[in-house]
Order: sequence, then structure tokens, then C-alpha cells
Amino acid sequence: MTITRRHFIRSMALKSAAVAAATMFPGISFASWKPTDLPAGSIQWNKTPCRFCGTGCGLLVGVSGEKAVAVKGDPRCSVNKGLCCVKGYHSVQILYGKDRFKTAYVRKNGQMVPTPIEEALDLVAEKMKTSIQEKGKDSVCIYGSGQWSIPDGYAASKFFKGCIGTNNVEANARLCMASAVTGCLTTFGLDEPMGCYEDIDNADVFITWGNNMAEMHPVLFSRMLANRKSKTHVKIIDLTTRSTRSSQAADKSMIFNPQSDLAIANGICHEIIKNGWINEAFVSKHVSFHKGKTNIGYGTEDHFKFKDKAETVDFEALKTFLEDYTPETVEKISGVSAEDIKYLAALYGDPAKKVTSFWTMGMNQHTRGTWINNLVYNIHLLTGKISEPGNSPFSLTGQPSACGTVREVGTLTHKLPHGVVMKEESRKMAAKIWGVPETNIDPKPTYHTVEMFRALDRGDINFMWIQVTNPMVTMPNLRRYRDGAKKDGRFIVVSEIYPTPTSDVADVILPSALWVEREGFFGNSERRTQHNAQLVPKPGEAMCNTWQLIQVARRLGFEKQFPWSQDSYIEDIWNEYTKFHDTPKHRMAPYKVLTEQSGVQWPYVDGKETRWRYNGKYDPACQGDSFDFYGKPDHRAWVWLRPYEPAAESPDREYPFWLNTGRVLEHWHTGSMTRRIPILHKAMPESYVEINPEDAKSLGVVEGSKVKISSRRGSLVMKASINGRGNPPTGMVFVPFFDESYLINEVTLDAFCPISKQPDYKKCAVKLEKV
Amino acid sequence: MEKPDLKLGKFFFLFAVIGVIALPIIIFQAFSVNTGEVLAKVNNAPVSDFDHNARQLYHTYNNTTPAYMEGASTARTLNYYYSLRQYPGSPPIIPHDMVDEKGQEYVCLSCHERGGFTQSMNRFTPVTPHPQHSNCEQCHVKPVIKELFQGTDWVSVQPPKLGKSALAGSPPVIAHPLQMRENCIACHVGPGTVVPIRVEHPMRGNCRQCHVPEEVRELFSRNPK
Repeated sequence: MTITRRHFIRSMALKSAAVAAATMFPGISFASWKPTDLPAGSIQWNKTPCRFCGTGCGLLVGVSGEKAVAVKGDPRCSVNKGLCCVKGYHSVQILYGKDRFKTAYVRKNGQMVPTPIEEALDLVAEKMKTSIQEKGKDSVCIYGSGQWSIPDGYAASKFFKGCIGTNNVEANARLCMASAVTGCLTTFGLDEPMGCYEDIDNADVFITWGNNMAEMHPVLFSRMLANRKSKTHVKIIDLTTRSTRSSQAADKSMIFNPQSDLAIANGICHEIIKNGWINEAFVSKHVSFHKGKTNIGYGTEDHFKFKDKAETVDFEALKTFLEDYTPETVEKISGVSAEDIKYLAALYGDPAKKVTSFWTMGMNQHTRGTWINNLVYNIHLLTGKISEPGNSPFSLTGQPSACGTVREVGTLTHKLPHGVVMKEESRKMAAKIWGVPETNIDPKPTYHTVEMFRALDRGDINFMWIQVTNPMVTMPNLRRYRDGAKKDGRFIVVSEIYPTPTSDVADVILPSALWVEREGFFGNSERRTQHNAQLVPKPGEAMCNTWQLIQVARRLGFEKQFPWSQDSYIEDIWNEYTKFHDTPKHRMAPYKVLTEQSGVQWPYVDGKETRWRYNGKYDPACQGDSFDFYGKPDHRAWVWLRPYEPAAESPDREYPFWLNTGRVLEHWHTGSMTRRIPILHKAMPESYVEINPEDAKSLGVVEGSKVKISSRRGSLVMKASINGRGNPPTGMVFVPFFDESYLINEVTLDAFCPISKQPDYKKCAVKLEKV
Repeated sequence: MEKPDLKLGKFFFLFAVIGVIALPIIIFQAFSVNTGEVLAKVNNAPVSDFDHNARQLYHTYNNTTPAYMEGASTARTLNYYYSLRQYPGSPPIIPHDMVDEKGQEYVCLSCHERGGFTQSMNRFTPVTPHPQHSNCEQCHVKPVIKELFQGTDWVSVQPPKLGKSALAGSPPVIAHPLQMRENCIACHVGPGTVVPIRVEHPMRGNCRQCHVPEEVRELFSRNPK
């Protein structure tokens, strides 16, 4: 920008006014931001969902000129009612990091060379074409994300599954939501929670299963605290493997041994039945009983295959099964006292109390993730505490559109926007809407995420397109997959906004338009679809991910399937996509409604949102006024008999500590965005290893000492934190994964839930050495 | 005859020496137990003094009445607040008499633990952020004269700036260290607070959801040196 005389005078006047004001009011600061010459009154406020977690807070982004300059909570949005967290309030700063990608880069002789984007897209299309010709359609894949806007995921699915004909479509939500999906599908036959955030205002008891909402879902947590403060009887019970900020706020915190949540849930059911707290009217009408395979493995070997088989049983079978889970036995497995197990059962079992259970990664990133999801549903089903205000088993999501883009659009290898590839009717529907021959859609799923990266390492896949995610920080057993991605003959395309360890291994980097630089939709944890308009211009040659996909698809000859113009493609895609969900069970709001309202919940029927599914009082898809679990052919929710089985790797003599990993309040996932927000980096500059004070004492380690953490897969040296943000019990350490300088996933294990294929980032064995 | 006695004497002497050395160590050990840890073991509860004593804040939030939270008085100014300190964050002096008109001594925490209006002082009481420390005069003292023993060239830094927001309208960062000041509500909520640092939204209970401390001043760099 050239500074004119007029600009100069104006900015000087502004600065001298600020100095004068500062001297007049000592103690009042005039900002750590650089004031532009934009007057304060020039701000236009526009609604958008927050870019970060799956809570889906409504934000109002203040735009002045062509810049986003401020953020407020959107008071019209029922999710957060005007409150945000520190990430949300500073979210617009992710747009303006100095090292933003504004042009494409292509690797030439080992160096990344700035390249015009059209040329880079030509190269991507050409590489895909040759790979498909030489090694077949299953040699190319796309790996997306729960941060994909809905049109991104939809375009990817249509392009890869419909046009190319490969099921090599996966998303990082496999690493965070897959067990919640299989949990919902096996119990209810349909995905996503039945309740909504209004449950928080109505519940009498909150039980959190292995999640730290004070840091990870702070806005919802504050709503819980406000409910507790306004009434005298509300209780928050924190079930956890490590003391956290949420434990500090809870009325009671119970520490359990990793993996033993399976036993605890069964123990609670045992007590509920023993004490006659079972809701017989509900159970006899709306529940059926089933069991599946046991001893199901951990998937640590390549080409691992597993298929569960359901067997219908009766209530007596459940009763017999639960005899193994007396509170005393559960105490031995879990370390939680029998008395506390009985207390939990009494809370769930009290017919006068409304109980909401919350969980996120503790239950999902679990080698028996599907099972533990089933078991917590069991508790709510046996007591009939479900699908009513305040009675809610509620799986929270970690990404802004894990539900919207991955679970609803179905960007997973076995899924289609409606149904699964294995079903003929689903393929027929997709082929018809997409305008492709039915034979294009392969009826066989290919690779889930971990197996997809293994296939890349083996050479079965040699072209991978990664959008909106950072797998070179987040894959478990990372070293293998990074070495695999760097092998000769692999071609990696990365659509990104900032340099990351993933863009470091790319052959082509495509600069992406981010969040409010483009139009799009997210879908949050409570089935709420949220539209955002483009509010600021894209920097340089940055391009919307959807448009990148459309451009490459057209280069491969699919102009007919991707005919849209740049003015209206997002709306056109929405209108096409919603044809997949046009029934009362899943109807989505029309485009116009979404542009006007701060999020709309589906099923959206006759102009009305559905707050609670499966309950005839609220859900128009139900037959009758009572409960109707219409996802299953028998119109009943399924209670599953799932036993406790140990973790894939447990501490032993050589590796005596559990390693647990996770997030912190300030940073979101791998920190590629939040670390470029000045105050968030300043508040949480680097990762650390939390060690219990007693363990620290016996290791001779104090706050800030360097500690080496090693597992059978890798090792890492980092600083110790004692009595810091969290406090693990003896025998466990915790490491936040946001810091690319400390890649803790080189240490973690790639074992996964055989049903959901979601890896367990919370449990593996390590040893510690003072450095 | 003498020899065995000498031996026995030496033996007893040695025993006595060991006893004299060991006894204080044993006694010291017995009293130097971390009571928090012991209590935690007795109650089968985790030690919860981590994360800047976050528990205290949540507890205070839950137990402070909305009426108190909304309470406001304009009696105290920021200048007065700093006039009681030697540098930002130093323990303030005790600015009032320690005995009432009848000669009865005040017990600090009877007013400063929970706040409210104090009739005898005719003002709202500021609340201590660390009521768990009850030996108040260990840090807070009452000046009894104004004159110095010798002059001083003491200077210190400016008090932290208020309203240090990254964006117009975004939540300001925590401008002070959290040690001994973990309980935000004590100083930022209620009628005893200093007006310029009084929070406009006291009904929000998870303060550090939006307000974070500034641990370093450098910006993120992919390859920190």
C-alpha cells in the first residue's frame, strides 16, 4: 500500500489522539493491535459458525473494508447465546498469519517452487490420470477432514466415488468420530445424537465420560456451570483417567484405570437391574437385546479384517452376562470404589433425576470405542432416560463439521451421502443424483484411514490428495506413515493455508481459501447446519477447496457432473446434496433459511426443527406420540452385551507408564491455525509432559526438567509439567499433541477399534528417563 | 571388672548419639508431611491443587450469590489500589486500624474471606484471592509511621495495562501472574472491587475459557531456536 499524504496525516492524528487519551486516562490501554485508518463505525457484523470445535458457536465477525477486524458471540445463535471461548474471540486472526500460502507450490528437484495455480492444478490432474491408467483407480485417494465445509466433502465424494469409481475417500474424522458413528448405528440404526444442547439447561445430573469439557467444549461447560449455579441440586460427576480442569469444577471426580470404562458401564447396569431401577415400561416396548463377537483384536497388523455378527438374545441373557460385573469386581478392574459405582448407578437409576452423559475422545479413541458407546447407551436405555429434555446420552464432536461433512455427507470409504456403498439401493440413488452410470460406484469399501496410510507406505496407493488436515502430526505411529509418504513414486497433494509437517512432505501445495474467505456450511454436534457467507476476499491465488476439486474433476473429463458457475456453485451443490436426505428422518433446511438463521437443526420438517429425535412429542418421523426408534427394523433401540477387554498395549516392566494424549484449551488440534494467533501462542507456547508429582519425585524430575519418553515405536524429549494444567495419576503421563516440535504421535500406537477402525490415542505403554 | 563396664558404657553412648541424631529427623519427618496429599489419600480423592488451584475458582463461583456478583460500589479507585503496593503484585499494606473503637482486634478473614459491607469501616470489603493462607500478617503489614529511615531510589515498572485485548472487543489477556491470585472472582467481582478492573459479566463462571495468561511474548515460529 502506498501511503498518501492524506493517509499519513489521518493516521498521525489518530495516533496522537490515542496518546492524548492514554495520558488523560492512565491505566486504560489503547490496544496491542495496530490501528488501521478504518474508523470504528465502519464495522459490518456478519454471522458465521466458529472455525474451531464441534460445539458450533455462532460468531459475528466484524468486517471493515476488506478485513475481518473483530469478533462477537452471536446472541441469536441458540448454541452459545453470545458467549465464545478464547479461540473463538480471536479466530479471525487465523486469516492473517505472515506465512500464509498465497500461491501454489510444486516440488522441482526437491525444492518447493511457487507456481501459478492453474499450472499446479494441471499437474495434479495429469498425475491422477497417469496413476489411474497405470495402477488402476484404487491407486488414487483423497484424505479430507471434519473441517471440510459440506460442499468440499460432497464434491470429493461425487468426484472420487461417483466419477472415478474408487471408494478411496476418507477423512480425519475417522480418527475422532468413527466410534461414535458405529455406536449410534449399532444401537439406533441411524447416526448422530438424539438430543440437543437444551439438555444442558434441563439436566439434574451431568456425567462426563473421559472428557475435559472445561477446556475442550468450554462454552457448553459454562452452560453446565450456569445450570448448577442457578439450582441447588445439580451435580457434575467427572469420570476420568486424569485430573483436569473439569475435575476441579466437578462435584465429584472419579479416576479410573484406562480401558476400564467398559467394566464401569456394565457395573452401573448390574446395579440398576439388581436394585429394580430399570424402567420396565420403556424397556418392554422400545428395547431389544443383542450380542456380538468377543475377543475381536486390535488391528495392529496390515490387512486386518473384522466383521461383527449380531445375535438376538433376551433380557435374562443380559442379566446373566452382568453377573460378572458386581461393583466389587468392577472396583478391582477400574480402581473406582464399589461405593462410587453404586453411587453412579443410583444417580442414573433415580427416576426423579434427569441425567445427561457427555463424552468425546475418551470413549471414541478407544480400541473398544464402539462397545463403550453401546454400553453408555445401555444405561440410558435401561432407565429410559433418553430423547427427552435433560435425559440425553450425548456424544460431542471435536471438529466444526465432523457431523456435517463426514457423517452426513458420508466421506468415509464405505459411505455414500445416503446409505452405504454395499447396498444396491444406495448406489442407485447416488448414481441417479450424480448423473453417473450405476456401475461406476464400487460396491466394495477399500481402505479406512490407518489402512489407507499403510497402503500408501506399501505402494498400493501412490497418489494422495490431503485437504484441511495435518496427518503428519496426527497419525498414530507417525514415523511409519511419514516415511511412507516420502517414498519414491508417491505423489502427495496438500491443500493448505500454512506450512505444516504435512505440507513439508507435499509434491504440490494448493493454497486454500479459509472459512469466511469462501461460502460454505458446517454441521455441529447437535445436528445443526450452519451457513457462512464469504465475508472477506481470498488472499493471492488462494482457492476454495470445493473449487479446487471441481477444477481437477473437469480436467479429468467430468464437466457434466461439475457444471456449476463460480457465482452460485455452493448453493447449487446444497440443492443437489439435500436430495439425498429428503425424508422426515433427515430433511435439511433449504438454502435461503440457512442464510438467514444462525443454524438450523435437522430433521427440518414443515419449517420446524427437531430438537429431540425418536420421541413422538418432538420428532415428526415417529409413528405415534411415544418413543419410536425407527432407525432399526424392529423399531427398538438395541442393548448390546459387550464385555470388558483389555487395551492393546498396557504398561509392563520395560515400559511402565500409560501414555495419554489430547488437547489444551488454547490450541485447536495441531495448532496450525491457533499457534498463529498471537495471544494463544503466548499463553501456551509449547507442549510438555504432565507427570504425577510422586512419579516425578522418584524420577528425580522437577517442573521444566527434560524427560525422554520412549515407546516401542519412537521417543521424544520434552519438558516436564508437574501440577500444571492437568494431573495424571501415578503410572500415567499426558502429552498435548498440538506442538509440531514434539511429535508425540511418533510414540503412540496405531491400534484401533475393529468395528469403527478408529485408533486409540489414549493408551499405550512408555518409559520415562530423566535427561 | 572395669573393662566390660567400659564396653557397655561405650555401647550405650553410641546408642544415645544415634538416638539424639535420629529423633529430630523422625520428628521432623512426621511433621513435614504434605497434608494435602494425606487428606487426599484418606478421602480417596485426587490432589486438586493443580492448574492454579482451579477448584477454588469454581467453588467460589458456585457459592457467590448473584446479588453479590452484581453489586457495585465506586468507593475504591485504581490509584488507591496501587498506592497500597510497592510494585504491581506486591502484597498490599493494611490501610486501616487493626482494632475497633472498643479496642477489639479484627480477625482479617472474618471480613476479607467473603466480603460485603463493613459497618464499622463504612465501606465494602475487598476479598482476598487466597483465604487458605490465614497467617495474613506474614505478608500484609500495617505502617505506623510515614517517615523513612533513609531515602530510597526505588522504582518499579508501570502497572499492567488494562483492556489488553488482541482485537477490538475481544477478551483481554490476564495481565498479572496467577500465583496467589488464582481466584478471579475475589478481585474482579462484587462491590468491594476496584471499578476499572471489575468484570461486566460476573455470571460467567469459567473465566479462563476466554481470558488466558501471557506466558511468552514471542510469536509462533515453526523452528524455534
